[in-house]
Amino acid sequence: MGYPYSHDLEVNTLLSRHFGDEKARTLEGWKELGGYATLPRALEMEPGAITEVVKESGLRGRGGAGFPTGVKWSFMPQEPTGPHYLCCNADESEPGAFKDREILRWVPHLLIEGCLIAARAIRAEHVYIYVRGEFFPFSRIVTDAVVEAYEAGYVGENILGSGWNCDVTVHIGAGAYIAGEETGLMSSLMGGRAEPWIKPPFPAQAGVFGRPTTVNNVETLAAVPMIVAEGADWYRQWGTEKSPGTKLWCCSGHLVRPGTYELPMGIALKDVIYDVCGGAPNGKKIKAVIPGGSSTAMLTADELDCEGTYEGMAEAGSALGTASPIVMDEDTNIVRAMRRIAQFYAHESCGQCVQCREGTSWTAQLLHRIERGEGSLSDIDTLYHLCEQMTGRTICPLADSVVFPLRSSLDKFRDEYEALIRC
Amino acid sequence: MSDATNYVTLTIDAVEVKVEAGTTVLQAAEHAGIVVPHYCYHPGIPSRPAQCRMCLVEIEGQPKLQPSCVFPAQDGMVVYTTSETAETARKSVIEFLLLNHPLDCPICDAAGQCMLQDYAFETGQLRSRYAEAKLVLGRDRVADDILYFGDRCIVCTRCVRFMEELAGDNALVVAQRGHKAYIDTFPGKDLDNAFRGNIVDVCPVGALVHEDFVFKARAWDMDSSPGICPGCSTGCNIDINVKENQIVRTKPRLNPDVNSYWMCDHGRRHLVMANRGVRAEAPLIRVDGELEPASWNEALTWIAGRLEAGDGAAVVSGGAANESLFYMRGLLSELGIDGGTFRVLQGEEITLPGFPKLKLRADRAPNVTGAELHGFKRSDELADVPDGGVLIVLGDALADAPADYGANAGFFLCVGSHLYPAMVNATAILPMTSVLEMEGTFVNYEGRVQRFHQALRAPGVARPAWMSLSRLLEHRGVGEGVLDARAAFQTMAAGTTGMDNLSWSGLGLRGELLSEAGQPAVAVE
Amino acid sequence: MKNPIHPAAASSQAFQIAEIRPIERLFEDDEGRDRLEKALSRYPEKRAALLPMLGYAQERNGWVSDESMEQIAGALDLTPAYVRSVATFYTMYNKHPVGRHFIQVCTCISCHLHEADEVFERFLAETGTRAGEVSEDGKYTVIEAECLGACGFATAVQVNDRYFENVTPDQIPAILDELD
Ligand SMILES: Cc1cc2nc3c(=O)[nH]c(=O)nc-3n(C[C@H](O)[C@H](O)[C@H](O)COP(=O)(O)O)c2cc1C
Ligand code: SF4
Ligand code: SF4
Ligand code: SF4
Ligand code: FES
Repeated sequence: MGYPYSHDLEVNTLLSRHFGDEKARTLEGWKELGGYATLPRALEMEPGAITEVVKESGLRGRGGAGFPTGVKWSFMPQEPTGPHYLCCNADESEPGAFKDREILRWVPHLLIEGCLIAARAIRAEHVYIYVRGEFFPFSRIVTDAVVEAYEAGYVGENILGSGWNCDVTVHIGAGAYIAGEETGLMSSLMGGRAEPWIKPPFPAQAGVFGRPTTVNNVETLAAVPMIVAEGADWYRQWGTEKSPGTKLWCCSGHLVRPGTYELPMGIALKDVIYDVCGGAPNGKKIKAVIPGGSSTAMLTADELDCEGTYEGMAEAGSALGTASPIVMDEDTNIVRAMRRIAQFYAHESCGQCVQCREGTSWTAQLLHRIERGEGSLSDIDTLYHLCEQMTGRTICPLADSVVFPLRSSLDKFRDEYEALIRC
Repeated sequence: MSDATNYVTLTIDAVEVKVEAGTTVLQAAEHAGIVVPHYCYHPGIPSRPAQCRMCLVEIEGQPKLQPSCVFPAQDGMVVYTTSETAETARKSVIEFLLLNHPLDCPICDAAGQCMLQDYAFETGQLRSRYAEAKLVLGRDRVADDILYFGDRCIVCTRCVRFMEELAGDNALVVAQRGHKAYIDTFPGKDLDNAFRGNIVDVCPVGALVHEDFVFKARAWDMDSSPGICPGCSTGCNIDINVKENQIVRTKPRLNPDVNSYWMCDHGRRHLVMANRGVRAEAPLIRVDGELEPASWNEALTWIAGRLEAGDGAAVVSGGAANESLFYMRGLLSELGIDGGTFRVLQGEEITLPGFPKLKLRADRAPNVTGAELHGFKRSDELADVPDGGVLIVLGDALADAPADYGANAGFFLCVGSHLYPAMVNATAILPMTSVLEMEGTFVNYEGRVQRFHQALRAPGVARPAWMSLSRLLEHRGVGEGVLDARAAFQTMAAGTTGMDNLSWSGLGLRGELLSEAGQPAVAVE
Repeated sequence: MKNPIHPAAASSQAFQIAEIRPIERLFEDDEGRDRLEKALSRYPEKRAALLPMLGYAQERNGWVSDESMEQIAGALDLTPAYVRSVATFYTMYNKHPVGRHFIQVCTCISCHLHEADEVFERFLAETGTRAGEVSEDGKYTVIEAECLGACGFATAVQVNDRYFENVTPDQIPAILDELD
């Protein structure tokens, strides 16, 4: 079910079925809705067997990169020599993305159950749910649910009499997009500046507190209970070989029905935008769409007939990312929109890498100058040069992130830049 | 190192180089004589954040440029440090760094030894296409003696990491983030760490400067000579920067066995203070009750003729060079005087936690071990002078002596660099060069014999004590006067237990340990 | 002391709230000690309690002062400089006092496409303030925020720990009324 709207093309798996239903927030209500049924089964399974099911299901990380979840879990040491940790990434800060918050606020127990099953699979003894600071109302809901789960014996010591112990802590951030990058998240969780670190060490070797760690997105973890309950084949009834299952799409910008929708993988982007979301309001035409959250390449209205999968969006020259299309109608000033996006990255760069620290802020300033009509044609070359030098040069991909929309806007809407320069 | 599997062979810019496994590409390149420009990497600071992205190189098989400061060298690897992509990336890092940089090289203290200026020049980047307003941070104080010029800072965090990882004092940090980031202390809590001066040395640009050095000298009008810090018995290896015969600055010089890349602030201050005081500039002999200037020959002849064997006392300094102490011992033996003492100023011991071998040691003199090796004993008191006997003082041992010290001696010879009140009682004074004005050696706390070079011109006709004492002995018919430091050292080494294994050239820049026979009694930490 | 909280909740308390309860010494009463102890119990390293404690300081005082930073440093065996380095990295810790209603208008891309700039200007006009300053009556501070994660509900506005969504400029007087 979508929120706040729903649509015929939607699938209603456990992921979104109870969006909008306050009953699902409480433990009692959630159990009436069938919650916490999978955890006991998972407790009887070997950790490796849980990982195997998830691997077979083909579930891919919903945090943006789409890394196969079961494979990621299998990187964790099989013979623990000390604590393992699971970090649930609820830092959701990518402009355009607002899907995890629906899980946090409507089905917190689903997330907890998913976290516990994942923790079991990777032999973690503590789950940290890292929620972005601004999400106060939602972290409060998740916190209440965790406390209820503790009191009911789903979390803590000797969970459901299994002899297995696992703690869950809700930890809130304080305003930093980069805390969503997995190593930045761990730096932050350890009480530091959310500065990403260069790998190796990889999280599965030495992550948070120097111990093997897995970082997974909220939506990834929330999909786990149903996969373990219903099986890999069931999950694969949707989507493609490479991108199975369902996906939450969160759609914003100039749309008649913006919001979050659970859709089968493989749905065409144009169907999401025109059918599900009703296209642009007031009969306006669509000019451009940034399909996967602000860190992905812009598509023009003519390029929307592409398959909504990791591979399909890549083929279209963009990325599925977090499946968060930002839609811009015909009246949108692309340069101004791009300037606003660049400003975000300049504000959020952690500042370690020279290209990112200086490049993002230069980009934003340069775009601002063009927007004010004070640009020159050589500025366009400079922007391309910046794209070149911010790609593949830095510790984390934040610098690359601004390049995707920037370069595509230059390629596809050069006339708009030139028009501002000439006037 | 017999196990061949510990080595990897790789090719860097067409040069084949064999290095131990685990070496980074940057270090491997260094072995091949190729310098990969870098900022955040500092060989003495353990962490490798790989954040400046200056050292990116192209490696065959790697889709992206890789930071050579952390990327491990692997067998068969082919690396290009100057391929077009690598060069363009490096150029663009410089361009980025110069965006908000004030380009105030003409008034910057680092100009001439700035890693930003150097690379900018090398890559030929003199103009910027940056048309935006520069961010201006101004300057700030991070310690009572260190200023921070934020606009020149490239946020490489070397200074922060020195304080955290070496000094163990997390008092200097990055504040804010992104392009607003800068280096700062907590309000009201300036750095007071005893090793803080090193942050100035690690800063690759001119963002951190010693206040007493600001605008004092340009890198290219200073002379520099390798020295040993006389501040304590550690014997840190240093470079002494001199302008117009004044020490304007000292910097640590790498010696992995002693001080690594570091030194303490006591040492820095100590050296700059060495410029002060009233100097003995000419030999003085007592004629008709008055100390009168004399030529060296006159003075030596005069003294040689009057010194008599018999009862006597000797006072030396733990700051005197070995060679001087050796000839002092020779003179004493010739006069039949045994023993001799020295006093050592004591101070608080302070360790650099990240390199614990480096301590500001309690013995605030550089050659305590050497003095002991030559048979002098440490004492809390100035030696008693037998009435009418001989008193010989070597070095600056009388700064705090009572004004009547030595007045009861029959013959009081003082070989010293500075003039102190008690020296009015001397029968003769021979002007001595300070250890900054001569060549010689010290033996540090662990028995490491280290050589220092001359940094300053001596005032007047002051001479190294080994020279004047050996000549005095010659005047008394013993041996020959030595005129150069090498000869003094070699004569000494041959005649001193524990030093027979040493040679002047063998000391090199890292020094050599005394042989077992000469090792200091105190256990080495 | 406020209702004792579960240890699992010690690191997730809302810290931008209207009802501040100013306190000078953070860890010298039962509540502060309890919060510290519970937060510490959740991590293998003391330092990890830093963000929760910065949050606690702001929850009590409305902002994080230098004195608070020093107290937190003391409680966690950190240097005050380190605490400041972390506190200044994150935008949500106020390094200066703010109005009782701290109004953050998301002007990031999706909201930007929906009158966010107008909403922001209108908030400033209605509160009679300039960006970031505290209104004379101490009630309001208005700032521009980066993406608040409510892009489908543009324009999103956060006032302390509450979200206001689908905000249009003409709703602003009513929102300000409701806050009082
Ligand atoms: C700049 C940046 C910001 C990110 N922000 C988030 C985020 O807010 N939430 C998230 O789940 N993943 C985010 N990621 C991706 C994470 O690094 C990580 O890949 C993800 O949490 C892994 O979970 P998954 O495998 O379940 O997708 C971000 C990555 C980058 C480079
Ligand atoms: S790319 Fe940007 S955000 Fe990522 S580590 Fe480097 S400076 Fe920080
Ligand atoms: S002050 Fe110097 S050493 Fe410190 S971060 Fe800036 S440039 Fe680097
Ligand atoms: S530790 Fe001793 S030798 Fe080294 S710099 Fe300090 S005073 Fe000089
Ligand atoms: S020296 Fe390698 S990234 Fe800075």
